[in-house]
Amino acid sequence: MSIADTLWHFPSAMMAWRNLGRNRMRTALAALGIVIGVVAIASLGMAGVAIQQQATSNLGSLTNQVSVSAGQDSDYDGVTDDQVEEIRSLLTNAQAIPQKTNSTTVSSRGKEAYVSVTGVTDANALYDVTEGTAPERLQTGALISNSTAQQLGLELGDPVEYDGHLYRIAGLIDSSSGFGPGGGRGELVIPISGLADQQYYDSVTITADDGDAASNIANRLDEHFNSEGHEDEEILRVSSYANVQGQISSFMNTLQLALLGIGGISLIVASVAILNVMLMSTVERRGEIGVLRAVGIRRGEVLRMILTEAALLGTLGGLVGALAALAVGAMMFHVLVGDASAALQWSSARYLVYGFAFAVFASVLSGIYPAWKAANDSPVEALRG
Amino acid sequence: MSVIELHDVVKRYESGAQTVTALKGVDFHADRGEMVTIIGPSGSGKSTMLNMIGLLDTPTAGTVLLDDRDVTDFTEDELTEERRTNLGFVFQDFHLLPMLTAVENVELPSVWDTSVDRRDRAIDLLKRVGLGDRLDHTPDELSGGQQQRVAIARSLINGPDILLADEPTGNLDQDTGQTILEEVTRLKQEENIAVVAVTHDEQMLEYTDRTVRIVDGVIQQ
Repeated sequence: MSIADTLWHFPSAMMAWRNLGRNRMRTALAALGIVIGVVAIASLGMAGVAIQQQATSNLGSLTNQVSVSAGQDSDYDGVTDDQVEEIRSLLTNAQAIPQKTNSTTVSSRGKEAYVSVTGVTDANALYDVTEGTAPERLQTGALISNSTAQQLGLELGDPVEYDGHLYRIAGLIDSSSGFGPGGGRGELVIPISGLADQQYYDSVTITADDGDAASNIANRLDEHFNSEGHEDEEILRVSSYANVQGQISSFMNTLQLALLGIGGISLIVASVAILNVMLMSTVERRGEIGVLRAVGIRRGEVLRMILTEAALLGTLGGLVGALAALAVGAMMFHVLVGDASAALQWSSARYLVYGFAFAVFASVLSGIYPAWKAANDSPVEALRG
Repeated sequence: MSVIELHDVVKRYESGAQTVTALKGVDFHADRGEMVTIIGPSGSGKSTMLNMIGLLDTPTAGTVLLDDRDVTDFTEDELTEERRTNLGFVFQDFHLLPMLTAVENVELPSVWDTSVDRRDRAIDLLKRVGLGDRLDHTPDELSGGQQQRVAIARSLINGPDILLADEPTGNLDQDTGQTILEEVTRLKQEENIAVVAVTHDEQMLEYTDRTVRIVDGVIQQ
């Protein structure tokens, strides 16, 4: 039994397939419209995901952090030990890490680099060490950002001098953690004792589980220090990046919708093209459909045959379009995120499925009128041609 | 016994402000094993009459009986069902589907009935009209006479009681027309069916059992 004979068990599909094969050029052009529509809708959707991923990865780990520093109405030039204790007493599931900061010029082998200096005890909670170790309690060693180390030709174990003291480099840290405090500039992290001449802490970094927890903590601290008893005073400046992420993702959602809207318009144009093609081909085949009706083919069967034709067009165009969109998506992810295979993740790959489903849906939708018209034509009129 | 009967059938068409009466009270019947030919000048209403007999159209007044059943007020879907099971059609210009092979064209009327094993019957019918070696040819690979034979095989696939032929030899040369008519006559006897034909072709009258003449929508006695 040949493939054609097997297909013949699905007469609607068989007839539709043969009918599409009769005018290949027209079929190809109609399908091309769908291909373009699917590529537009799917690749724009994926572009939105890629842009969002890039933006989120640039924000990095900052989104679950809350930063506290002295407010303009504070009596002190920084955050006091008492205030740190007060902050800690308000936290349940987060760690508060006080820091002192300064800046200096580090020199080694005749080269100089301007870096910000952070004095901190719990360094391992704040920094990702790419090489070496960040000890639980930083007491003697130092951490230095990769870029600065490279610039100065420093390696693990080399000494660095700050304020007359020498510190051995215990670990290298990733300095590209986005636009946080001191971002972009090189960083030197030393034990807090190295900055003992500064009485108060410059900032306290609180690391929460996630962005939502961080913004809760920020609100709570703000309320506690800046509202209770002292109206509209800013004793401590509390800032978190969670709301930044919220704004970015809400902007991204809007962008995504706009992109999908543009893609949707092209698919609507494509389905109008399908409507036109189906209408033309049913008008051309009017006599033939009349013969079908005369020999006893039911109206529903004619309807199904023509709808299947439209669905096949949509499926064909949708498949080719989804493949093309996957290629476009992989390219975009390669450029924006640096990982082409990320296009296959469900968050972006689902736009391929949406595009394909929309293509089939739109094609069937635009096949309904021509199919209905052909099926309900009077056989006598149709036979007359 | 008559397998199809028209009683006092009237058909009026409204075209714009005008009313055209194509059939003005027509009586007609055809029996099994009989070939009836309807002749008449163009515009006489013979095509309209064939449409009534073929259940493609419904009369304005009068009665249509199929196998003694009154089918006058049948819905379009019921008429489709009757056409499928009881009627076969052969047209002047064959009307085969160009993208289907001969055997597929023959199967076409029954192809949506998945319960029927139609392939064997289709091949058998094509053999009987002398096309056993042309099963997988498409219509454009067949001559006019061969195409009309495929159409005849198609009209018989569901085992009808009546075969309706609208100028079956109209597009064929004299010799081919003759073999087609011989074919129809033979099948008419083999299958014991009524054949109702509309024609201009004088040679067809040699094969017909009875001739009905219609002029201006009225049967001439």
